[in-house]
Amino acid sequence: MVAFRSADNSGRQSGLLLRCVLYCLLAIGLMILDKRYDQLSSIRRGLSVVVYPLQVAITSPFEAWDWLRDSFRTRDALRADRARLEQELRIARFRLQRFDALETEVRQLQALRENTTGVAHKFIVGDVMNVDLDAFRARVLVDKGARDGVFVGQAVLDEGGVFGQVSRISELTCEVILISDATHAIPAQVNRNGLRTVVLGSGDPNHLKLPYVSTAADIVKGDLLVTSGLGGVFPAGYPVGTVIDVRRDPAASLAEVDVQPAAALDRSRLLLFIWVDAAK
Amino acid sequence: MTISALVALMLAIMPLPYPLDVLRPDFLVLVVFYWSILAPRTGGLSLAFVAGLALDVLHGIVLGQHAFALTLMAAWATQVRLRVRVFSMLQQSLTIFAFLAGYQFILFWIDGATGNPVTFLSRWFAPVIGALVWPAIAGVLNRLNDR
Repeated sequence: MVAFRSADNSGRQSGLLLRCVLYCLLAIGLMILDKRYDQLSSIRRGLSVVVYPLQVAITSPFEAWDWLRDSFRTRDALRADRARLEQELRIARFRLQRFDALETEVRQLQALRENTTGVAHKFIVGDVMNVDLDAFRARVLVDKGARDGVFVGQAVLDEGGVFGQVSRISELTCEVILISDATHAIPAQVNRNGLRTVVLGSGDPNHLKLPYVSTAADIVKGDLLVTSGLGGVFPAGYPVGTVIDVRRDPAASLAEVDVQPAAALDRSRLLLFIWVDAAK
Repeated sequence: MTISALVALMLAIMPLPYPLDVLRPDFLVLVVFYWSILAPRTGGLSLAFVAGLALDVLHGIVLGQHAFALTLMAAWATQVRLRVRVFSMLQQSLTIFAFLAGYQFILFWIDGATGNPVTFLSRWFAPVIGALVWPAIAGVLNRLNDR
């Protein structure tokens, strides 16, 4: 590095190089500790609490606006909402009638197969905070943390299907990595015939990829993909997405399959954190 | 200085709709460069390190990544600040582009080294955008600073 010479505050100039080296060594030390030894989760948690007010400050105007808009809605709109919700509730109840019986049946069958993938037995609802984490990584910040019992690797759903998993926690918040993140993979199977595969994120919240399907595989447009429960993070049987396009190039050994995620990855505000009990 | 850094930090995590968030300039980084060039004694490398650490906590994969990149680039900016101060706006923007490109390259490199590569081409928009908004940010900060 070139020697630092300068007219103003020359007394501190010799310090620039020294301080630069010092800070850089400190940063490198942090990186090594964080990456290799995983020693820093407590420090990171502490620092997260420090920036939490900032995140709340960013979120609160949006929440205030939502609240304001809600409180000025007309009676007609509320009435229409109520009618719609009642209709939905009726349909949901109708579907639920068979659910208890089916769940018992599933448990019996799983016991028969000595399957270890369990059934979700407890969940809490988290609210996505209106904070941008990184434009190039599909992650969201949620207002549930270690205090609420959330743990790293926990499966997160929204009302449509699988949303993602918890990648990092702090005391009050946690970071959820979406299944559309370019580094995320989720074991899944085709609901129609049980074909197992892995669904990869693409970086685009409306698009998932299925890169490991051979051209000969029985998969068609419209197939529903559900979690297979392999890998142990996600419980089996939750919808991941729908196949929207299958391109088979006769010269290639693998087909190109595009999947539309079942969860509203770029729109959902309420997320379900689920606890799964092992069947045994 | 602290206030400008805090505001920049808030702008950095302000939610933007999906296609726009890729085009978001690195406000905090620009603010750090501004103070490194204009008044290295007030904040200097300590500001750069702390700001980098804040970015790490907010959206870093590895703690220390942004801190490292920002400290190095701020040191470079401090070193050449006397020349930069007399530059025309265009020359300043080009210099800032070089700083931001270096910053982004260090991040890219650490991302790769720690096994979380982000290889989208859009990542390299950031230096261009930053250089484009530099005159505006420098202007606003100058105006506030004069008061």
